Amino acid sequence: MIDEKSTAESLGSTRTYGQVRCMNPSCTSRITPQPGQTMAKCPKCGSEWRIFWVKAGLPRVRGPVWETSLKMANAKWDTLTDKKEEK
Amino acid sequence: MALDRKLAVVDLTTGNIEIKPIPLDVRKKFLGGRGLAAYLLYKYVKPGCDPMGPENAVIFSAGPLGGTLASAGSRTDVMCKNPLTGLLGSGNMGGFFAPELRWAGFDHILVKGKADKPVYIWVHDGEVEIKDGKNVWGKTVTEAQWAVREELGDPDIKSAVCGPAAEKGVKYGNVMTGIKNANGRGGGGSVMGSKNLKMVAARGTMDIKIAHPMEALEFDKKYIEMITGAKVNQTMGTLGTPFIWGAANAWGGVRANNFQLNQLLYSDDIEPESLDEISNQTVGKYHMAACFGCQVHCRAKYRIPDRPLSQKLGMVGKYDEGPEYTSQNAFCGEPGCTKAETLLICNHLVNQYGVDNLEIGSLISWAMELYEKGILTSKDTGGIDLRFGNDEALIEMIHHICNRDTWLGDVLAEGGLAAAEKIGRDSLKYMIHVKGMNHLGSDERATPGLALNAAMASRGSDHLRSRPAIDLYHLPEQVLRRIYGSPVPYDGPLSPDQREYAGKAWMVFWQETCFMGVDCLGTCKYHTTFLGATLPNFEDWSKVLYYNTGLEMTPREMWDVAERCNLIERLFNIREGMKKDDPLKGEMLVDRYFDEPCRLGAPDVVGATLDRVKFEKMRAEFYQHKGCDEDGIPTPQTLSRLGLDTLDAEQPRL
Ligand code: SF4
Ligand SMILES: [Zn+2]
Repeated sequence: MIDEKSTAESLGSTRTYGQVRCMNPSCTSRITPQPGQTMAKCPKCGSEWRIFWVKAGLPRVRGPVWETSLKMANAKWDTLTDKKEEK
Repeated sequence: MALDRKLAVVDLTTGNIEIKPIPLDVRKKFLGGRGLAAYLLYKYVKPGCDPMGPENAVIFSAGPLGGTLASAGSRTDVMCKNPLTGLLGSGNMGGFFAPELRWAGFDHILVKGKADKPVYIWVHDGEVEIKDGKNVWGKTVTEAQWAVREELGDPDIKSAVCGPAAEKGVKYGNVMTGIKNANGRGGGGSVMGSKNLKMVAARGTMDIKIAHPMEALEFDKKYIEMITGAKVNQTMGTLGTPFIWGAANAWGGVRANNFQLNQLLYSDDIEPESLDEISNQTVGKYHMAACFGCQVHCRAKYRIPDRPLSQKLGMVGKYDEGPEYTSQNAFCGEPGCTKAETLLICNHLVNQYGVDNLEIGSLISWAMELYEKGILTSKDTGGIDLRFGNDEALIEMIHHICNRDTWLGDVLAEGGLAAAEKIGRDSLKYMIHVKGMNHLGSDERATPGLALNAAMASRGSDHLRSRPAIDLYHLPEQVLRRIYGSPVPYDGPLSPDQREYAGKAWMVFWQETCFMGVDCLGTCKYHTTFLGATLPNFEDWSKVLYYNTGLEMTPREMWDVAERCNLIERLFNIREGMKKDDPLKGEMLVDRYFDEPCRLGAPDVVGATLDRVKFEKMRAEFYQHKGCDEDGIPTPQTLSRLGLDTLDAEQPRL
């Protein structure tokens, strides 16, 4: 009984290391920052993320690069509000 | 035996104390912890009673894994009828109280009635006493705990206490233990205060006999590897739970300026990495602590740093623990404040006053929006310039609410719905709540599954009842199928896209059952499928329960227990007036979720709102999964299947 692997335990093998996911919901591309790198740009959607290394091999998104994030958000907002005005 | 701990029923009006064994058939039906507490609440509290009156009960519960060899058997559940909502009040805290309660011979202490003067309850090696509370009443959360140790001459006493805010009748008072372990969201502290009960103090030397000790230890190796091997727990052991807020703020999933924005811009100073640096500087490299039996160590220690605001308020160097991500919500995102010292000061204040951080922060942020809109004026605020981003105003309001010493402080102390009635105009429209409880600081407009969780949570708007947080991880569908298809088969839709509606109702239902399971056992939610997909759940619990307690239950039987106990909570709420579409006590989100689009965040989040028709369909699916009718009422077949058809008629089983 002890030796049988449960579902949760066997899913451990699916873990990935050294990568973060782009946090733009339709993108979610995997990004592989170089060890120690503190900023990474998503190759697919262009979002830029600040990176923190919990330990070697375990990066996480600390936050967005604010200027880029704000610029992209404003651009998206403008397209949405423009569309409304056209209606 | 790990299962031989008892229930004590303490009547503070009469002074009568009854000690009762917990029969095995009751264990098999409700296990313990939150599940058995729900049964006790349902049976012991008179329908329709005044939550601040003697007919309400407050129940302190440990789970059967508390104090055993199982990982993180640390949790204390506290349940009552919540003075804030008039519905289920339920919270859960870590620390060291639950194991001590079990070593003192008890799993559950149910307190009813009202003492005619301040008292505390003293639980020790099979005995329960009511003691004069004059030395502990009026003290802060930590002072009270030190005082009882001194009074009884034992530095190892662990206590579950209410703070000065609850003594003053603030409706969202916590039960607290240690420096910052908080049983929030349920109003348990307020009910204690209403009963003149300052604390339950416990000390025990009654060993818990482990049923199969060698197997339990052997299994622990695997179990602990699952806990510590999870990336999320390695992150938490470094940055604590603030990493959650940091991640959500990165893409625009937090409330800011009450609910006007969904991201706190340029908030680098309160990001987890910055807070970690403050702990490093003020406490030292080894500044992460843990609850009983836990390997994660998610609790940071800190001292308030030497900065202008802390100096001005005389707070430099004060010690505390946390902050949790909930404090970042409450004292940063929602009021629009970006200074770490403000966060750390507010966190310290709420811990000492013993008040719910999420509720008080949300109420102040709501008041800030009302002030911005001219619904509250400086006359109402007593001259405080209650604008977003005003750190000092935020701190001042915490004092005024907890001391009830200004008009607005007193009004907000009663909770949002009561405050909206007093403030009038269209103030309620701006409050972000479910069932009268303010919503925590996340913004779910771009995540329908998480939004459904907030609407359905049994204790009011909340994330710790059924939030399928791994919905944010974009896990492959085959992984989702393995998780959500066990122990009950499921072959309906499941989508890795967090913006989808299809299949989310099942994920929320599964998560609700999982969270009740872990709360029945008395272990930590960070040790199960919540923030990580590879953490233990039903299959693993079945083993850990057997090795530690000898109780044989299949994963499916454990699922049934959890489903049953969730249904009792639902029945309690229905009995106390919950109706599906009631804007005050119902299972629906406020209009702003559907009408106001997200303004900030990742490009796909900008413009997001919830679709009302799809949301209601998702809610209907959730009711179906739970075996309820279209109004969310459990059907007779469901009640019979789960053995609850005689719940109303039967005498209490213990
Ligand atoms: S994960 Fe954190 S909250 Fe949970 S038991 Fe461990 S230290 Fe306590
Ligand atoms: Zn991207």
